[in-house]
Amino acid sequence: MTDLLTIDYLRDYLLVGAALFALGMLGFLSRRNLIVMFLSAEMMLQGTALSLVALSRYHGNWNGQIFTIVILTVAASEAAIALALIMVLYNRRSSLDITLWRELREEAAPDVVPAIEEAAAAELIDATAGPETYPKLTPAGLEPEHPIQPWTERRR
Amino acid sequence: MTTGSLLPTLIIVLGAIGVYLLLPHRLGRAKPRSVHIAGAALTALGVLGFLFSIMEPPSTPTPDAHFYIAGAFFYVFSASALGSAVMTIVSRNPIHSALWFAGVILSSAGLFLLAGAQFLAAGTVIVYAGAIVVMFLFVIMLAQMEGRAMYDRASRSPGTAVFTCFLILWSLVYCLGSLATRPTSEPVEATHQPPLIAGQNFAEHYRLAEGSSTKAVVDRVYRPTSAAQTAEGLEKPDVAGLGEALYTDHLLTVELAGSLLFAALIAAIVIANPKRSLRTDEPELAESDA
Repeated sequence: MTDLLTIDYLRDYLLVGAALFALGMLGFLSRRNLIVMFLSAEMMLQGTALSLVALSRYHGNWNGQIFTIVILTVAASEAAIALALIMVLYNRRSSLDITLWRELREEAAPDVVPAIEEAAAAELIDATAGPETYPKLTPAGLEPEHPIQPWTERRR
Repeated sequence: MTTGSLLPTLIIVLGAIGVYLLLPHRLGRAKPRSVHIAGAALTALGVLGFLFSIMEPPSTPTPDAHFYIAGAFFYVFSASALGSAVMTIVSRNPIHSALWFAGVILSSAGLFLLAGAQFLAAGTVIVYAGAIVVMFLFVIMLAQMEGRAMYDRASRSPGTAVFTCFLILWSLVYCLGSLATRPTSEPVEATHQPPLIAGQNFAEHYRLAEGSSTKAVVDRVYRPTSAAQTAEGLEKPDVAGLGEALYTDHLLTVELAGSLLFAALIAAIVIANPKRSLRTDEPELAESDA
C-alpha cells in the first residue's frame, strides 16, 4: 500500500504550520497582555510541531515525532516558568501590561516607543461611548491611608 | 514573479488587512461595528482562500473514498485551526483567547491524527488542553478579577506587526511553492524506479548511488530502529514504534527532557514563592531565623 502522505500533502501541512507560526508571531508582537503573549508563543511552537509531524510521516521515520515530544516538554517547562514570572510581575505592578516593564531595556537604547505611549495615555479616555468603553466614576471623599508598605509594591 | 504567485500574494494581503482591522486599536479607541464586520469578512476570505487556492489538493493516480474522507477532514481541521488562531490573537478578553487557543490545540491534534501520530495527538490534548490552558485560565482569573482591562483594548504598533508577520508568511508560502518534487541527482545504477512520491522513496532512490555523500547521510539517518516500517515493509504500530525509536536511538534525549522538566520545576518554585524581605529589623523574620 502506498503512503497517502505525498509531497503535495506534505506541502499543505507545512503551509498550515507556517500560517500558525505567523499568526502566533503576530499575537506575540502586537498584544499587550502578558498571558496572551505567552499563548501566542505556544501557538508558534504548535505550528512547528505540526510541520515536524508531517515531515516525520513523509520520511517514514519517527525522528520528527520525537522532536515534537521534546517540543511538548519544552512547552510545559516554559509554561510553568512563564506563569511563575507572570505572577511575580503581577504582584509588583498589579497589572499584566507588558509596556509597564519597558525600562528593562538597555539604558542607551533609543527611546522610540514612549511617543506613541504618551499619546496613547493622553487619548485613552474615551469621549464616545462604544461597545468597548466603561464609565468612569469621579473620586469622592477622602483617600484612605494605604495599609500596604510601599516597598513590597503589592496591592493585596 | 509569475502569475502563479500573484494569487497567493493577493490572498495573504486580504488576510493581513482583515486581521489588522480586527486587532485592537493602537490607542485603545473603540472600533465601530462595521470595521469589525469588514475585518471578519476579509479574514474569512483570506483563510478560505489560503485553504482552497494556495494548498493544491494532492493528486493520486486512483483516488478512493479513504483519500476523499482524509482530505475533507484535513480541510475541516485546518480551517478550524486557522480560524481559532485568528480569534486567539484578536480577542479582547484573555479568557476567550485561552479558550480559542484550546481550539487551536484540538484542531492540530486532529491534524496529528491524520498524519498518523496517535500518541502525539493524545499527548497534545492532555498536556496542552488539559494542563497548560487550564493553568493559563487559573492565572487569568487570579490576576484579572476586575474584568477587561485597558491594555487588552490597545495593541502595540499593530500595523508594523501585521506587516512583518504576513511578510514572513508570504516568504514561507513562496518557498514552499517551489518544493522539489524530483530528486536533484540521478543514481549511478538505477535498476528500478520506485514511484517517487514520498520521502522514503527518495531515500531509496539515493541509496542506489554508491559512494555519494547523500547516501552516507541517508544511511546514517534511516536506521532500522527509527524507521516507521519493518524490514518486511509492514507498518509498525504507532506507540510501539515510537517507543522503540525513543528508547534506542534517542535515549539521551529522554534523559535531557527529564532533567529539563526537573530544572523547570525547581525554577518555578523558586520564582513563584513569595520571598520575604531581607531586612533584619523585621521581628518575625528574626524570630524565624532563630
